[in-house]
Amino acid sequence: MDTFIFTKKLLIVDDEPELLAMVKSILEEAGFTNIVTAGSVSDALTICHLTLPDMALLDVMLPDGDGFELYEKINKIARIPMIFLTAKDASDDKLTGLGLGADDYIVKPFLPQELILRVCAVLRRCYKDNSVLSLDGCNIDFERAEVIKESETLPLTAKEHALLKILADNSGKIVTVDNLCEALWGDNPFGYENSLNAHVRRVREKIEINPSSPTSLITVKGLGYKLITRN
Amino acid sequence: MKSYLNFLSKRLSSLIIRICLLLLLNIIVYVITFYGVISKDYGVTSPRNTLAFISENSSISGISSSAKEQLDAINVWAIFIDNNGNVAWNYAAPSELPDKFSINDVAIFSKGYLLDYPVFVDTNDDGLLLLGYPKDSYFKLSNNAFSINAIRKLPVFFVAILILDAFIVLLLYYRSKKRMVSNIEPILDGIESLSKGQPAVVKVGGDLEEISDGINKASQIISRQNIARANWIAGVSHDIRTPLAIILGYADKIKSHCDADSDFYKYSKIIGHNSFKIKNLVSDLNVVSKLQYDMQPLNMETTRMSKLLRTFVADRINEGLEDKYTLTLNIAEEAEPLSLNCDSRLINRALSNLVNNSISHNPEGCNINIDLMSTEDGLKLVIRDDGVGVTEDQQKIMQKPHYMDSLDDKLDLRHGLGTIIVKEIVQAHGGKVETPVVDNGYTTLLSFNL
Repeated sequence: MDTFIFTKKLLIVDDEPELLAMVKSILEEAGFTNIVTAGSVSDALTICHLTLPDMALLDVMLPDGDGFELYEKINKIARIPMIFLTAKDASDDKLTGLGLGADDYIVKPFLPQELILRVCAVLRRCYKDNSVLSLDGCNIDFERAEVIKESETLPLTAKEHALLKILADNSGKIVTVDNLCEALWGDNPFGYENSLNAHVRRVREKIEINPSSPTSLITVKGLGYKLITRN
Repeated sequence: MKSYLNFLSKRLSSLIIRICLLLLLNIIVYVITFYGVISKDYGVTSPRNTLAFISENSSISGISSSAKEQLDAINVWAIFIDNNGNVAWNYAAPSELPDKFSINDVAIFSKGYLLDYPVFVDTNDDGLLLLGYPKDSYFKLSNNAFSINAIRKLPVFFVAILILDAFIVLLLYYRSKKRMVSNIEPILDGIESLSKGQPAVVKVGGDLEEISDGINKASQIISRQNIARANWIAGVSHDIRTPLAIILGYADKIKSHCDADSDFYKYSKIIGHNSFKIKNLVSDLNVVSKLQYDMQPLNMETTRMSKLLRTFVADRINEGLEDKYTLTLNIAEEAEPLSLNCDSRLINRALSNLVNNSISHNPEGCNINIDLMSTEDGLKLVIRDDGVGVTEDQQKIMQKPHYMDSLDDKLDLRHGLGTIIVKEIVQAHGGKVETPVVDNGYTTLLSFNL
């Protein structure tokens, strides 16, 4: 786990004090040390003007406005990652939330573990010093597009870089062949599976200790691939 | 158009029978009305018969007594005019009659009237027998000549006018029926929609406007009720979510602070598990009510099924699947490129419910397989597990109408919304859900036409 994310300042906005207390205690227990809460749009904006949080969790229905408005107002102060946390699950609400550019959308009720994982995922994605990734047999420097091994440094092609980047952004999770092809060749990438296989083979030759029995870039049969990272 | 023709042919025979009955009725009324007059005026006392009788029983020299009786009986007078125009004899003749008639007089009265008396004439070698009927008892055509050409044309004219009339009657009939059908059809459609609890808008003018207004009003009431019900469900489910989140959160917190073998650990786990059940029920309830009341607009897009399934399975595994369960996707090669016009969010929902069913019914664990196959007219999705399955009796219970669809007083609250939501979603996509009885585990087939 990346410990740096636990030092980030979180703002939780909800009009239900009990829920606010609970979310705060869940996140504190998970390791977050810097959490502020607000019960209304105006309180939230006051906090943001004083010291900007690193991330905000927003309820959609608030006593003095809605979460989408608050999202836009905070965005005008500064662009920080935000997650909607709401009891509404109507599909258009979800689209409104993500259409604004929100980083995630969690529907109440949620499992505490789910909340922690999503908050961490968004923070990691937005704040991670992710230019160097550590794998079993090598490190990958995304900024320089290089694979650094003990004895040598191998350059990555644009496609290999894109492939590793999307896998690294979802490290430990399955990324489907469809998503990989889309990331590499754009919309409607049907029929690129063979090319994808070829790129995966070449990436493995660069990053794996033994490319024929990979330990970092794993095939998930029938679905896609996942990247196992060390950190 | 076809329905009009059907309608027409169905009604045509009965129309023809009715016209025939009407004609028969006319004849009967005619006979009843004129029978007395005809039998009296054209029977034995008719001018023709009387004339023949008197002629036989009289001559230039006089009239027999039986003939006189006959004349008295019907109040008719008689004279006999010899070949010179002189009256040979008379019986009961009016006094104003002349004694002698010129050839002009004869020419005039022989076709018509003598001093306004309708007269009938018989001739023999000796002269003329003339019967005088009471004034206003008969109407005589004094100029009864018709053109032969006109008479020859009559049969053709009658047949033609009959055909023309029949044609016009049929045309009028067809047009009035067509207008009626075109007015009634939207009303029937509207009533059918209402009977299914769905709103209807009927626009019909004319005589039927009142009916269509009534349907529109009923429809408004139904849709208001549907919206109110769906909103009510949405509102309740919204209000349940926050307290449920708090319960779930604190149950988890208690669990994490207890020893794994303590009772409190067990209790908090049960609280968490059941809250989770309510969570699923609440969101399912919302989706079902919106689908049932047509409140959820389908967001149809052409979606490659293989991609949708890979994403679904990958997400499901990424979210964390306990080790005792496996989730495997098998896509037949020919099914790989198949696309379905669907709301992928709802299809995901259906798949998720089926997978959740397999998981919740098999706490000991099971292997879940999703197969995608192509069929002759579409595609088939098989979601199967090798778990405990259901018995035939349970299967029968599941075939019964769900309590959401039941009007029974004794609400059968056995099963949740998991299966009904799958049914609703698949039906909204024109597909079919089957749950075949299998030896091992539980299997659901979803088939869609492309």
